[in-house]
Amino acid sequence: MKKNIFALTVLLAMFFTTFSTTLWAQKASKEAAVKVEGEVLKTLSLTLSDFAKLPHVEATMKDRDGQLQHYSGVPVFELLKLAGVTLGKELKGENLTKYMLVRSSDGYEVVFSLAELDPAFANRVIILADRKDGKPLADGVGPFRLVVPDENRPARSVLEVSNLIVRFAKE
Amino acid sequence: MQISHYKKLTLFLVLFTAGMLVAANAADSFYTDPYKLEYPDYFGNRISIPADNLTTKQGVYLGRMLFYETKLSSSKTISCASCHQQKLAFADSKAFSFGINDMPTKRNSMSLSNLLWVRNFFWDGRAKGLEEQAKFPLNDPHEMGNYLEQAVKDLQKTKEYPPLFKAAFGSTEITVDRLTKAIAQFERTLISANAPYDKYLRGEYKPTPEELNGMELFMNSPVPSKNIRGANCAQCHGTPKMYMELFHNNGLDSIPKDIGREEITGMQNDRGRFRVATLRNIELTAPYMHDGRFKTLEEVLDHYNEHILPSRTLSLSLQDRSNVENGKTLGLTVQEKSNIISFLKMLTDTDFINDPRFADPHLKKK
Repeated sequence: MKKNIFALTVLLAMFFTTFSTTLWAQKASKEAAVKVEGEVLKTLSLTLSDFAKLPHVEATMKDRDGQLQHYSGVPVFELLKLAGVTLGKELKGENLTKYMLVRSSDGYEVVFSLAELDPAFANRVIILADRKDGKPLADGVGPFRLVVPDENRPARSVLEVSNLIVRFAKE
Repeated sequence: MQISHYKKLTLFLVLFTAGMLVAANAADSFYTDPYKLEYPDYFGNRISIPADNLTTKQGVYLGRMLFYETKLSSSKTISCASCHQQKLAFADSKAFSFGINDMPTKRNSMSLSNLLWVRNFFWDGRAKGLEEQAKFPLNDPHEMGNYLEQAVKDLQKTKEYPPLFKAAFGSTEITVDRLTKAIAQFERTLISANAPYDKYLRGEYKPTPEELNGMELFMNSPVPSKNIRGANCAQCHGTPKMYMELFHNNGLDSIPKDIGREEITGMQNDRGRFRVATLRNIELTAPYMHDGRFKTLEEVLDHYNEHILPSRTLSLSLQDRSNVENGKTLGLTVQEKSNIISFLKMLTDTDFINDPRFADPHLKKK
């Protein structure tokens, strides 16, 4: 009788441990990443640690109150190049009908033409930033935000960027 | 006139082949009338109609029959219209709704208006497209009793439905796919665009001073240094459709019981985030929020003015906005809150809730 109770207890303990590890696995949340997809040769999914390994540059923009803010990140051009988007010499002809849709995890979306991201066309460097004043970005702003310098409104400097989607314009 | 034997034979063969070709074509094709969806320019054209489910008069009629069809539930007592009642702008008056076995739903029934523009459905945006959305309540064991497969068989046995499916989809065979497509087509027609606010936008309605003040507060961000009063509602509820397709945490809880969009995306940043719902017909769609916790618009305004709770994912749009220099809360006066509610009541579209095109088609037969 005692052996049976002991065996039953061991079995139940094993059952619950397995069950609770499944629960824990479900509760563990996904790491935030930015996805580069659409008209790309290779879809990218970059987490903060992946992103930190890429060469960074600085960019500044004015916030809502007109204060200058200093960000550090990777030029969007470099991210798109990594994904194999038609840039540089390839950005001609029908490739000039491509756009990049930036989506935030809160659903906000804005559009850029490929040309305005390419140094062959425009001198302004638009970056995807992961740091401000040397520190990670605040809640609701990061982990990644777009920094578009020299625009009169900050509306295109999307916060909490989750997707960069390249597509052909449909007409 | 004498026709030679060979000519007769040739004529017969030609007519026979022509006849067979016509018959073959007629068997495959079916004719539907496109349904013209009408809406104001200021709603914009970013509408969502899938290429494989264009809106037709036949599809819409069938969809309306199905929307109000209680045979789709296992108890034969619940239809879509049970929780989405036209007179309440296709919402209901409960915090949570009760399906076939009196078990409450997980969240508040949303109002179905202007869904033609929405792309991510439900409070957590888990369904992309109306066709996908329709399957959820039909398959839910507590809503309509997970009865969809059997309902399809039941409808197949009726006299009225197979011909309606033939008219809409070219075949009397009823499938889950066609059923949800028809419902989606009907839902796309539920356009609410004739409230006093719309008449005001067309220059046909003169708001009262309270309504006008409420409108200004709704649209503007507060700038206390320049004496500009505002409630900043338009940051998320702006545009004439009275919503923007965003998922925000509006400070209902510091630790939300219902984690909202996080359940779908698995991302901590989405904790407590829910879709910004439209404010059209908001006077009719109480109680408010994903869990129906606020019974009146007064409670809603009090929440946004005084009771926003902090958390890591609280929307940035609801932080540091105050009518008081360095204030921690929005700081509207009692009169200002009341004026905003007066403006919100301008969004009630009595044409929409009485439109016979959206009403129960089965009533005539009873």
